[in-house]
Amino acid sequence: MDEVIEAVKPLVQRDNGKKTYPYYIENPVTENRVERFLEAFAAVLHFTDYKPLLDSYCTSNAKCNRCAVTCPVYLATGDPKDIPCYRTNLLLETYKRYFTFGGWANSRFSNGTDLTEEIIDEMLDLFYRCTACRRCTTECPMGVDHGLMTRLGRYILSLIGIVPKALQVATREQLEGETHNTSKIPKVALMDTLEFLSDEIEESFGVRMEAPVDKYDREYVFFCAVSDYLLEPDTLMGNAVVLYAAGDWDKWTIGTQDFDGINYGLFYSDWHLENIIKQLVHEVTRLRGKKILIGECGHASRSAHDFVPVFAGKESYPVFNFMEYTLDCIEKGKIKLNPNIITERVTYHDPCNISRSGWIVEQPRKIIRSFIKDFVEMEPHGVNNYCCGGGGGLVSVDEIYNFRMNIGGKQKADQIRETGAEIVISPCANCKKQLKELVEFYKLPCKVMGLHDLILKAIEIPGAKSAEERKEEAAMFEM
Amino acid sequence: MEQWLDFAKGPLFAFTFLFMILGLFRHVVLQIYYLGIRKGRRLRNAPWRKIILDTLTWAVPVKHFIPGTAFFSSASFLSHIGLILVPVFLVDHVVLWEGFLGLNLPSIGKGVADVLTLFTIACLIVLFCCRVFVGRQRAMSGPMDYLILIMVFLPFASGFLASHPKFNPFAWDTMMLTHFLSAEALFVLIPFTKLSHIVLFFFDRVSGLHWQLRPGAGDKVADALFGKEARV
Repeated sequence: MDEVIEAVKPLVQRDNGKKTYPYYIENPVTENRVERFLEAFAAVLHFTDYKPLLDSYCTSNAKCNRCAVTCPVYLATGDPKDIPCYRTNLLLETYKRYFTFGGWANSRFSNGTDLTEEIIDEMLDLFYRCTACRRCTTECPMGVDHGLMTRLGRYILSLIGIVPKALQVATREQLEGETHNTSKIPKVALMDTLEFLSDEIEESFGVRMEAPVDKYDREYVFFCAVSDYLLEPDTLMGNAVVLYAAGDWDKWTIGTQDFDGINYGLFYSDWHLENIIKQLVHEVTRLRGKKILIGECGHASRSAHDFVPVFAGKESYPVFNFMEYTLDCIEKGKIKLNPNIITERVTYHDPCNISRSGWIVEQPRKIIRSFIKDFVEMEPHGVNNYCCGGGGGLVSVDEIYNFRMNIGGKQKADQIRETGAEIVISPCANCKKQLKELVEFYKLPCKVMGLHDLILKAIEIPGAKSAEERKEEAAMFEM
Repeated sequence: MEQWLDFAKGPLFAFTFLFMILGLFRHVVLQIYYLGIRKGRRLRNAPWRKIILDTLTWAVPVKHFIPGTAFFSSASFLSHIGLILVPVFLVDHVVLWEGFLGLNLPSIGKGVADVLTLFTIACLIVLFCCRVFVGRQRAMSGPMDYLILIMVFLPFASGFLASHPKFNPFAWDTMMLTHFLSAEALFVLIPFTKLSHIVLFFFDRVSGLHWQLRPGAGDKVADALFGKEARV
């Protein structure tokens, strides 16, 4: 109970005049924050295209509160401050007051809408209570994109130095560090990991698959959430065996100068978003690749799919999520999955970035139905799914664990429990981490896996050990 | 009083109506300028199919009557039927449009108009009550949210009373003047308030377009604020 209270209370607190923030901030700015915020806001409005959007939202925002009943955070707390419209309004009121004639005229009669230190505290708190899942956007009659507004709010805050340290440190390493990835994995460690994965596959399948590294003129250049190399070997091995079984082993490569699909810029900064995309595109160009293949990661897929065409210009490459590739292989009969291997009840979690904000809803379901007999849907699912509670980069912010468990992920935990599933498929590195923590926190009787973790178990490769044999060996090993 | 009435339905009507049209036109022009010209070729990558489907779905938002807001949503959607049909197609209004704009519009019968008017009034009262009695809506409501509901209610109520003398406790010309003036006040309010969703509805729904960010803008913002120093 204490944890719930801890998670619900306002996150920015003053203790004897000393301010504590909800998340770690590197060198938090304490002076002239209002002026600096407005200066940053003005620069953003001057150089970007957000102005017409803000003009339009300011005028037509109906404040009807339909968004409230769609927001998993509000549903968990019931606090009006967690209503998406309330949060968006913090930014809109500031815009109206300082950047429109009407707001200026209004300010001659009242000081009520002036930006204050307290409002900035509220913003830095509320914009990082939102998981940017955009569920509210689908139910807003006026089409107000609260997810985009959260992102814009975070962007302006980041320009005055207010950003969770976890995100800042990761993007700094990705753009300026030696390793160019968020988990700081050096090339040597990558090669070791790939060697280890090849050994594992050989042990399991009896076939050696050496991962192609820095190969030129390949069709696909592969990027996954780099944390998968550390935490999700089964997902990566699943990806590899699909490529091998489909006969496309000589059509893909991993680049060593940039192998990280993660792009936290999608969550808080235009500048980071663009530069990380450019880095990714540069690697594909260096390798003379033709297509970008993104592993099981929601935001990596969305950021590459949506923003490579925007930022890369003529250098643009088509972007595919690995599940699209796998489905294509199944439909063309290039790979075969044994339908008798996965006997547990399975459910599927839609990562918001590729379902509601993306284009992948039916593809994974077709794959699942092709080899899993006991598949149950969560309610609601697809584009109406609930966020896992770790979206918008929150999952990387360890210090808000209580919030993510008790509030952000509460709806999702209830959903999973209701399905009675033993396996929750989550084809996203961030969702996977959050869901694994949720399962542990709520003691749910299930495990969280990637889709390709299951494909790894069920795939049949000619000339290799059969799926049945591998299952028996795995069972013996577990005993 | 007759002079006041003539003034209200003559020059004042023409002025306020034109004011509304120009105000809405300004919104449309600005949105098209920003979206069409400034974003330009980037719009090719936008999810157009989704945007168009969304706009059409929201025009008849039956599938959006979700639990928790079904009452409010129904009242909100249904009120729009009368809000659109009565001001445009009521017989008396059709005459007005013909006189001012030379438009020869079809009209709806008086009986239908009466039912629609009463229905709209009922919906507006429901919306008002929702704002007053539902905690989360009250938390988000400001004076303008209530004022707009009252301002929309007034021309409908006064118009109904003026055309039904047996229900009307006031003098006919007083009620007609109230009808004209309240409608004209509404015309003036429309471009400045959320009622401008009459046209902005079609532009807000295109938020997908606003994710087509401007290349290089992030660099310029950073340069302007920090110079060419490290900014990660």
